[in-house]
Amino acid sequence: MDLLNALVALTNYVIVPGLSYGSQLALGALGVTLIYGILRFSNFAHGDTMAFGAMVTILLTWLFQSAGLSAGPLPTALLALPFGILGTIALMLLTDRTVYRFYRQQKAKPVIFVMVSLGVMFIMNGLVRFIIGPGDQRFTDGERFVISARTFKKLTGLDEGLAIKTTEALTVVTAVIVVAVLFWFLNKTRTGKSMRAYSDNEDLALLSGINPERVVMYTWMIVAALATIAGVLYGLDKSFKPFTYFQLLLPIFASAIVGGLGNPIGAIAGGFIIAFSEVTITYAWKKVLTYGLPESLAPDGLVQLLSTDYKFAVSFAILIVVLLFKPTGLFKGKAV
Amino acid sequence: MSDNPYQDDHGNKDASITNTKGIGTMQPAHLKSGPTHKVDGGPFLIGDTMTGGYGKGPDILHDCTIAVDKGEIAVIVGPNGAGKSTAMKAVFGMLNVRSGAVRLDGEDITQLTPQDRVVKGMGFVPQTSNIFTSMTVEENLEMGAFIRTDDFRDTMEQVYDLFPILRDKRNQPAGELSGGQRQQVAVGRALMTKPKVLMLDEPTAGVSPIVMDELFDRIIEVARTGLPILMVEQNAKQALEIADKGYVLVQGRNAYTGTGKELLADPEVRKSFLGG
Repeated sequence: MDLLNALVALTNYVIVPGLSYGSQLALGALGVTLIYGILRFSNFAHGDTMAFGAMVTILLTWLFQSAGLSAGPLPTALLALPFGILGTIALMLLTDRTVYRFYRQQKAKPVIFVMVSLGVMFIMNGLVRFIIGPGDQRFTDGERFVISARTFKKLTGLDEGLAIKTTEALTVVTAVIVVAVLFWFLNKTRTGKSMRAYSDNEDLALLSGINPERVVMYTWMIVAALATIAGVLYGLDKSFKPFTYFQLLLPIFASAIVGGLGNPIGAIAGGFIIAFSEVTITYAWKKVLTYGLPESLAPDGLVQLLSTDYKFAVSFAILIVVLLFKPTGLFKGKAV
Repeated sequence: MSDNPYQDDHGNKDASITNTKGIGTMQPAHLKSGPTHKVDGGPFLIGDTMTGGYGKGPDILHDCTIAVDKGEIAVIVGPNGAGKSTAMKAVFGMLNVRSGAVRLDGEDITQLTPQDRVVKGMGFVPQTSNIFTSMTVEENLEMGAFIRTDDFRDTMEQVYDLFPILRDKRNQPAGELSGGQRQQVAVGRALMTKPKVLMLDEPTAGVSPIVMDELFDRIIEVARTGLPILMVEQNAKQALEIADKGYVLVQGRNAYTGTGKELLADPEVRKSFLGG
């Protein structure tokens, strides 16, 4: 038995990746939950919004790289991120003006908006592939590790190494900052409160002189920023491929619903629940167990519950269980 | 109900993709405000010989007139389905007024959207869903003052003085309050805009008789500050007792009009609407 090594291996293969993946899902789910809460429909175009934001950021990153700009040890993409956000905001507002506003004026039912967002999803999907192509794109640069496995082994003298990638650390730190700013905005500022008021009771918001079009505009802007940040962090951590982002929609929705749709705290909790379930169930536990258990009990097989190909099945199994037993989500959301 | 295909949800009730809680149901007569023009004389607020209905639907109001002057309480009473709330909504711009006009403070505002009427100084308290349930009492009041750019703390203090219980519950979500307290929040929210006229749609609906008496007392107190109040009431007797002006509507028409005392004394009105 070697509990210390077991702990290090666990941190290295489960906790660190889970935390960063969870942060990415949480940021994505926050966008979905804001649209659901304020604009009152599930936005199926969210994954492709993330892809679009990441794409703009990638193109600018390449431009910056070729111009010799860099952020030192941090990825150059961080410099391009604000511009990526601006580009996505522009696209969102354009989409709202040309598409969604018509349905708002018609006082269309939310389910119509859901279908409209499906259409928007396909268009954005095509747009991204048309511009950057369907292939895999890597744009990560700067220092690769905050702490590499080799340095860690040397420092501690343990057999197991602990590697923390710069992108993982960056993801978690960024997510914490973004969430803190978002909550401050929603709870303390006049505009944030007006968005909550609109979400709570549209008619009364109107009677109070809150301009619905303004609320909708701010919502799209915030969602564009959240989607771009989530998309770029995911791309930095893994890699950018339009189809992967399209698929990300599944765990993101699972996170939002598990946490309770319309509830921002729920979206964050849901993101981490889904991420950790996916990681723990698809991880081969042989190494950790070999360290953690007495030698006689050490496993022969890989002790991998499911192959990584099935990771979406995990999120959906959780989703179904939550919908069966606590349909409003773990935190009180607005869904029935 | 509606012939707009976009408003057909095809029976979808799936709340995991659509959120219908708190969704807007108001159908303003105008999506964009038209012009207003000055007019001379007349009461402070008047819906003058209004005829109209919802959207393209049939007329609900027929030459209906309701008015309120400064320092007065005007009450609209009548049997169920008489168009009381509809008349109030017409004044607030949520009904297609096909003929007739709405004038506020010497200005014809018939073409304005409800939002712009709020800016012009109309405070409206709907009958139901009249508070932000997920927000605290104080946030409700803040949202009431949304259109104000000046310091509204004085007004908030005045509201708290009028409804002292709200001061104690200021940090509690408004949805956790009792029925009577919710109505106080609702009225308080409308007062936060510093309206020139206050319109209440059945403020005592669903509250106990004791709470009702207290609410009426508060409404009189508000009226004494000079703020004209136009309200629809189910409890005709009590409402007419405090009314300077009363309107009895029947099937969208003015049936009887007079001071509250006159109507209470009128044997016809007593027989038909006040239970003898």
